[in-house]
Amino acid sequence: MNAEILQPIALLVAWSMVVWLWMYATRIPAMQRANIDAKNMIGGSGADLKAVLPPTVQWKADNYNHLMEQPTVFYAAAFTLALLGMGNGFNATLAWVYVGFRIIHSLVQVLVNRVIVRFALHFLGTIPLIMLATHALFTAFGFHTFGVAH
Amino acid sequence: MVALVLWTFVMLGWMAATRLPAIAKARLPKDAGERTADLATMLPKQIQWKADNYNHLMEQPTLFYALAGVMALADAGTGFNLVLAWIYVASRVVHSFVHATTNIVLVRFSIFAIGSLCLLVMAVRAALIVF
Repeated sequence: MNAEILQPIALLVAWSMVVWLWMYATRIPAMQRANIDAKNMIGGSGADLKAVLPPTVQWKADNYNHLMEQPTVFYAAAFTLALLGMGNGFNATLAWVYVGFRIIHSLVQVLVNRVIVRFALHFLGTIPLIMLATHALFTAFGFHTFGVAH
Repeated sequence: MVALVLWTFVMLGWMAATRLPAIAKARLPKDAGERTADLATMLPKQIQWKADNYNHLMEQPTLFYALAGVMALADAGTGFNLVLAWIYVASRVVHSFVHATTNIVLVRFSIFAIGSLCLLVMAVRAALIVF
């Protein structure tokens, strides 16, 4: 089985790992500059760094964390559709739109972090997600009258 | 995939087994824990480490599940991809032990980095398969 929707899934995961690399590439040098003794540290979490590192460094980590929040709903909906044989055509397009919004959202949060822009992108990206969730729900319960390609 | 999900429940059990007695011992006010994260400041930090790790298991592993799902559906869930997946799961189990017990950050970081690199390779391979 090779549903088209697997492409945006794989891309969003790959993008998440790009943001992970971006986070390390900025955070590790920032920790060194802040003279944090990471070698002897016991306990603590990444969130503790928020208080000591510059906000622009933290933005990368914030976005990386966000990529493990709402996208989990996307993966669940997309896999449901793929497994039910509905991962092509319009649903795949919706998934591409969602992933496109998430990537632009990442770039905004990581680079400029204008909250109104970020909010707007997040809001717009949630619309295709709601549609995917609705299609997944209707398909799983056996309603196929959505005009979606079978 | 199933192994990591089961491990997540082990951590849930470990968290509950340490946190519930700690809550009883701490004589917390009635409204404590309306936001669970607030418990972090009210209980001993070793107790919170288990909860921190449980929470982490719902973060990066979601990417792993997505990749493993893509590979399985694309009939590519065997051979080297399967080996990578097992290495990732093993790294997460070891990471959990370190996080929940000694919590030496450098060790935790190193294990996390190894697992993440493994995931990065899986992500590239999954992309090459579906595109």
